[in-house]
Amino acid sequence: MVAFVPTTRAGLYRSLRIISIPLFFAIWELVSHSGIVNEFLFPPPSVVAEALFEWAVHGHLLLDVGMSISRVVVGYILGATLGVAIGIATARYPALSSLLTPIFQVLRPIPPIALVPIVILWLGLNESGKYFLILWAVFFTVWIATHFGVQRVDPLLIRAAQALGTPEHRMLREMLLPGALPYVFVGLRTSLSVAFYTLVAAELAGAFAGVAYRIDIAHENLRIGLMMAGLVVLGLISAGLDLAFEGWARHVMRWR
Amino acid sequence: MGAACDAVALMPAPPVTVPRATLAADASCRVGYDLAPARGAIEINNLSIIFGQPGKEFLAIDRVSFAIKPGEFICIVGPSGCGKSTILNMVAGFERPTEGSVTLDGVAITKPGADRGMVFQQPSLFPWKTVRANVAYGPRMAGLLDRDAYCLADQYLEMVGLAQFAGNYPKTLSGGMQQRVAIARALVNRPSVLLMDEPFGALDAQTRAMMQETLLRIWADNKTTVIFVTHDIDEAIFPGDRILVMSASPGRVVLDIPVTLRRPRSTDISLDRLFLSIKKRCLEIIRREILSAFERQAQASESNHS
Ligand SMILES: Nc1ncnc2c1ncn2[C@@H]1O[C@H](COP(=O)(O)OP(=O)(O)OP(=O)(O)O)[C@@H](O)[C@H]1O
Ligand SMILES: [Mg+2]
Repeated sequence: MVAFVPTTRAGLYRSLRIISIPLFFAIWELVSHSGIVNEFLFPPPSVVAEALFEWAVHGHLLLDVGMSISRVVVGYILGATLGVAIGIATARYPALSSLLTPIFQVLRPIPPIALVPIVILWLGLNESGKYFLILWAVFFTVWIATHFGVQRVDPLLIRAAQALGTPEHRMLREMLLPGALPYVFVGLRTSLSVAFYTLVAAELAGAFAGVAYRIDIAHENLRIGLMMAGLVVLGLISAGLDLAFEGWARHVMRWR
Repeated sequence: MGAACDAVALMPAPPVTVPRATLAADASCRVGYDLAPARGAIEINNLSIIFGQPGKEFLAIDRVSFAIKPGEFICIVGPSGCGKSTILNMVAGFERPTEGSVTLDGVAITKPGADRGMVFQQPSLFPWKTVRANVAYGPRMAGLLDRDAYCLADQYLEMVGLAQFAGNYPKTLSGGMQQRVAIARALVNRPSVLLMDEPFGALDAQTRAMMQETLLRIWADNKTTVIFVTHDIDEAIFPGDRILVMSASPGRVVLDIPVTLRRPRSTDISLDRLFLSIKKRCLEIIRREILSAFERQAQASESNHS
């Protein structure tokens, strides 16, 4: 027991981090049983864990998780690729920027969720509609981050590169892209969480599998434990992707 | 030059013949230099530069003319804001003259190029590249294989005393160390003109003296034309063939004085009689210029008040 008594400030913080989540579950369990809340509407973690276990063994947890992740990944990669490509183009060619920027600035503030009904009309309830919604949600954030990132590359570095003999056609790869990278990564990370909001909206509006879809089904059957398990799984997936993204970004930009 | 790298001319027939056998034996770093005859004659003719929009024009350079012979080391001194960096920017090709012309070897300068190396007043290393990759950048752009470019880079890093930092990213270096990397990065390209904008401003006295001597040695080897901007007169006289003193804004050349001190020069040359008389002359002119600039300012603010 003595070993757990922290002796330094850093040690204290580490111990707090370790007990943080167990403490949360403990309080949750206590509150559920305390009688302050309705135990049926606010089930304790033990019930949620049971529902999660049931979902994994007799339900379609793997299918649901797989479908949700594949939707986010496909839509995100399409939207991000398009956003980076068009962001570079509009940053480099003022004529193209003058043509596209006004259009994008009008479309960008429309919440992607508002598009769900019309996209269902156009593309139905199949996967392509969900890819499209997530693509749409991701595109604008990544586009604007790339556009400004490329434009904000330090002009002094461009001059230095020119004086070192950089041909115009290599400027993009050697200077503009690495210089814009910090901005692009901010856009990519922000749009990752936007992609999840949109995923949830798309699945709630109609799907045949997926984590948010399962939450919806559990709602209809009043299986509150399963609903909460769905929330926990969504949280874990998006936190996991965000963590992986952060690690990747830190590796790519280790020069910062 | 370090012995690790054999010099092989990029030209079809190498003027310096290196036995092929040695090259094969020591193939770790075969790199080429363009050993063309001395170039780098600069002519600045009636150059004027105006910044700002119509109605709010600002005359930065006022009808400056001077010529620099190939291989000459010229130093420009003058008060802050007189247009020294602006003149370097013209020669580098970053900006276009409002009036007059700037030519290199008889050809008007229209854009930047690797034949004119620049060491900027502000830190300008590429932060996403290691120190070694920063120095290897120019040779890579010139078409050298990565391996050869990196080998050259290591050699030049050794010359500026930073070989052990080759793998670092620039942010982990002090300002002075970054500036030395920037110097190596400009030198490795073997430009016919080297433009240096207060390159040693951020260095301590010892490192500065070391870098001045290194620069002089490299210059003696290469005979590139150097335009060296500084506000330290000693630093201008020590390496220079010639010194241009500029007036406060608008920039004009108010003194063009040759430095006929014998070469090679060592740091104790600053006690030489000739050195001291040149220094005295420059200081007098600068003092006069600063005083007249103050007077003009005072007059301007007086006329504003009335
Ligand atoms: N792009 C620009 N637009 C407007 N004014 C400029 C621009 N560049 C320089 N100037 C002005 O031109 C003048 C000369 O600037 P410059 O940078 O050449 O001075 P400098 O002699 O290098 O000064 P320092 O010793 O402080 O570096 C200054 O008054 C400056 O304000
Ligand atoms: Mg300057």
